[in-house]
Amino acid sequence: MDKQLFQKSKKIEKITFIFDLLAIVTYIALFLILFNLLELPPVINGRMNLDILQFMTPTYEFLGSNLDKWQMNSIISILVIFMVVAVPMFVINVKKNNTRTIYEIDSYVATSKFVQAMINVLSFNFISTGLRIYNTFVLIKFVKGYNAKEFFKSIPGAIRAKIAKMKEKKVVIDEENLDSYSASLKKSIRRQTTVHVFRLFGTYLFLVTMALIIIIPFYWMVLTSLKDFTGATTNNPEFFIGISRWNWVNYKVVLTALNFGVYIKNTVIVAVFSTIGTIFTTVLAAYAFARIEFKGREVLFSILIMTMMIPGELYIITNFITVSRNGLGWVGMPTGQNQYFLAMIIPFVTSISYIFFLRQNFKQIPESLYKAARVDGCSDFKYLTRVMVPIASPTIFTITILNVFSSWNAYIWPRIITGVGGVEGQQYWLISNALRDTAFVQESGRVMYNLQIAASALVTVPLLIVFFAFRKYIMNGIGRSGTKG
Amino acid sequence: MANLIIKIKKFFAMIGKSIKTFFWNVRRILNNFKKRVGNFLDRHHINPAGKAPGWAKALIYLSPALVVLAVFTFWPIINSFALVVYENYNMTNNTITGYTIFGNFIRVLTDESFIVPASHTGSSAVINTLIIVFISVPISIFLALAISVALNSIKPLKGFFQTIYFLPYVTNTIAIGLVFAYMFKTDGGLVNQFLKIFGVNVTGLSWVESNAVYWRSMFVLIFYSIWSALAFKIMVFLTSIQGIDKQYYQAAAIDATPKGRIFSKITVPLISPMIFYITVTSVIGAFKIYNAIVALFGVAGAPPGVRYNLQSIVMYIYQFIDGSNAGNLSVAAAASLILFAIILVLTIVQMQVSKKRVHY
Repeated sequence: MDKQLFQKSKKIEKITFIFDLLAIVTYIALFLILFNLLELPPVINGRMNLDILQFMTPTYEFLGSNLDKWQMNSIISILVIFMVVAVPMFVINVKKNNTRTIYEIDSYVATSKFVQAMINVLSFNFISTGLRIYNTFVLIKFVKGYNAKEFFKSIPGAIRAKIAKMKEKKVVIDEENLDSYSASLKKSIRRQTTVHVFRLFGTYLFLVTMALIIIIPFYWMVLTSLKDFTGATTNNPEFFIGISRWNWVNYKVVLTALNFGVYIKNTVIVAVFSTIGTIFTTVLAAYAFARIEFKGREVLFSILIMTMMIPGELYIITNFITVSRNGLGWVGMPTGQNQYFLAMIIPFVTSISYIFFLRQNFKQIPESLYKAARVDGCSDFKYLTRVMVPIASPTIFTITILNVFSSWNAYIWPRIITGVGGVEGQQYWLISNALRDTAFVQESGRVMYNLQIAASALVTVPLLIVFFAFRKYIMNGIGRSGTKG
Repeated sequence: MANLIIKIKKFFAMIGKSIKTFFWNVRRILNNFKKRVGNFLDRHHINPAGKAPGWAKALIYLSPALVVLAVFTFWPIINSFALVVYENYNMTNNTITGYTIFGNFIRVLTDESFIVPASHTGSSAVINTLIIVFISVPISIFLALAISVALNSIKPLKGFFQTIYFLPYVTNTIAIGLVFAYMFKTDGGLVNQFLKIFGVNVTGLSWVESNAVYWRSMFVLIFYSIWSALAFKIMVFLTSIQGIDKQYYQAAAIDATPKGRIFSKITVPLISPMIFYITVTSVIGAFKIYNAIVALFGVAGAPPGVRYNLQSIVMYIYQFIDGSNAGNLSVAAAASLILFAIILVLTIVQMQVSKKRVHY
C-alpha cells in the first residue's frame, strides 16, 4: 500500500471535478441560451396560434453560424443527453471520492476510471479525459505496481495466458467407469442445475416483463412529448425518433404560452410553505407526545389516531365552508380579496400520521439521554433541537420529501379552492389542476396531444429527479412506515 | 499571482470573521439579557418552570398542531354531523329551511347513480367502486407478492428492479393518467398498435373515447389503478420478506423442500399480518379512488358521448361541492358519512383479526 499514490489519485480526482463542474455549467448555460432562442408561433388576438407550430422553419443565428430547426433540435438534444449523463456521474463520483478509503481501491476502480474517461471524450470534456486517464495509470501503479510502460508490456502476456487457460482441456470423467450411486448422483445434480437455470430464467423473464409494463408509460411520455403534432396523432406512431426531430419547442410552448411556469411556481410555493409548517408543528407535537408527561396524554393521542381513519372527503366539505365567505373568507370573495395560497397551505400544515411516525421515532431515543441532558442544565427545547432532531433527522427528511410529493400531487382541494374563483382562480392553479383543466387545443379544436404529454413530462421529471437523488431515504421511509402498521 | 490569491483569501477570511463576530455579539447580548432575567427571577423567588404543571409545557409544544387540527380536522367532524341534519343548507347565505334526521341519508341512498343504477347511464357509484375494489385489490396483491418473492430470490440487478418498480409511487397521478389515456387512444394508441401485432382488428376499438364500452373503460381504469398501486405493496412486502429469519429457509433447504411449498408454508404465513394489513389499507384506498378516474376520463367520470358512467363514491360526493349538483353540502356530508361507515367497518375487522394473530 503506497499511501502517497492514493493521496495523489484523490488529488487528481479533485482537480478533475473542477473541470467536470465547468463542463456541466457549460452544458446547462448553453441549453438555457438555446432554449431561450427557440422561436414560438405568433400570438393572434391574445392566443398563440398553435396550428402552425410544426410547420414553422425558423433559422437561428448562434455564434456566427446559421442553424436551421433540425440542427437546433439536435444540438439541444445532445446537450440534454450530456446533462443526463454528466450530472449523476459527477454527483456519484464526488460522493465516492469523499468516502472511499485506501482499502477499497482495486483494479475495478481503475477500470471504471478509464470508462469514465471514455464517457468524457464522448461529451467533449477533454481536460477531464486526460486527467482521468492519468489517474487510471496512477491507480494501476497503486494496485499492481506497474508503470505505464510495464503495464502495456504486460498486456500481451496476460492475453496469451488467458488463451492458454481456455485451451486447457477440461478433465473429463469417464461416466462408464462410475459406480451406479455416483452416476445417479451426477444425474440428479445435472437435473437440479437445469431446473435451477430454467427457474432463474423464468424469474428474470417475469421481472423484466413487469418492469417493461412499469417503464413503458414513462418512455412513451418522454417520446411523445418530443414529437410534433402529426407525429403524436398519426395512426402509425413511431417508437424511436432521431434526435433532429426532438421538438424541444413543445416544452417552451407549455412553459410560456400555456402558463405552466406560473403553475409550477404556485406549486413550489405551496409545497415549500406547507412542508415548513408540517415539520414545525409535527416535530413539536411529536416531542410533546413522546417525552413530556402530562395528564391525558394517551387519551389525546388515541383520539388523534382515531381521526386517521376518517376519510379526507369528510373534512373537505366543512373545510370548504370554513375557508369561504361565511368562515375565514379566504376564497369566494370579490376579485382581488381572495387569499388562495392561505387556503391551500394552512389546512395542510400539520398531519396526524407524521406526528405518529415521528413520535415512534422519538420514543426509540433512550430516556437516559434526556436525563443526562437535564442534569447538564439543558432545557427541553434545547434538548429537542440539539439532540432529538439530529438523531431523528432521517425520518424528518423522509417526511419532508413525502410531504413535498403530496403537495405536488394535490388535486381535489386546490381544484375546489380555485374553482370558485373563476378566471382569477385560474392564476392560482396547481400543476395537477392545470394538467387536467388546461385546454391543449388548436384553433380547430383538435387536442394537441404532444403538448399535453409534454406538460405531463414536465410535471413528472422533477419528481423523478428528487426520487433518484434521495432514493435511499424515500424507499427506506416507505418500507418502515409500512411495517409500522 | 500568488500574492493576489493570498489577498483574496484574506478578504474572505475577514468577511467570515466579521460575520462570526456579529453572531457572537448577538449571542452575548442575548445571554446577558437571559442572565438579567434569571437574576431578577431569583431575587423575587419566582420559578416559572418549577411550578408549571406538565400540561402547561405540553400545551406550548402542542398548540401549533392542535390549533390547525382543531379548525381543519376536529371541527369538520363535528360539523358534518350537524350538516346531515340540515334541510336544504344554503352555503352562500348560510341558511337552512329546517331539520331532518334521516332525510339526507335517504336522499343519498335512493338517489339515482349512488346505489341504484341511473336510468340514463345504467351504472351507479357504489357498483362501480365495488367492481374496482374487488378486481384491482386481489390482482395487485397477488402480483405484488409474486414480484417481491421473485425479487427476493435474485441477486444481480435486484436494486435496479427495485428502483424501477418503485417509480409509479413518485409520480403525479393526473400526469401519468393522461399518458395512459393517450396510450389507450383509438387511432394510433400504443395499446392498439400492440394488439395489431396479434392480428386483432383494432379499427374503432375504443377504450377511453366516445365509442368505448363499459368494460373496456373499466379495464383501463383497473389497469391504471393496479399499475400505480403496485409500488407501495412491493416495497412493503419486500421489506417484510427480508425480515424473515433465514433459518427457516435453511431448514427447508436441508429437507429439499420444493419452492412452491416454501412459498406457501413459510413465506406467506410469516408475512401474513403484513398481507392482511395491506389488503385492508388497499381496500380502503380503492374505495376512495378519485384522481385516477379524473385523470383518465375527466371530471364527468365517463368518456364523452357514452351511455355509461364510471363515477366512484368519492366522485359522487365531490359533485355536490363543484359540479352539476353544486351547493347541496348536506347530501355530500351524508354520502361521506356512509363512506366513513364502510371504512370504519373495514378497520374494525382489521383490528379484530390482527389481534388474533393472522399467522398459522
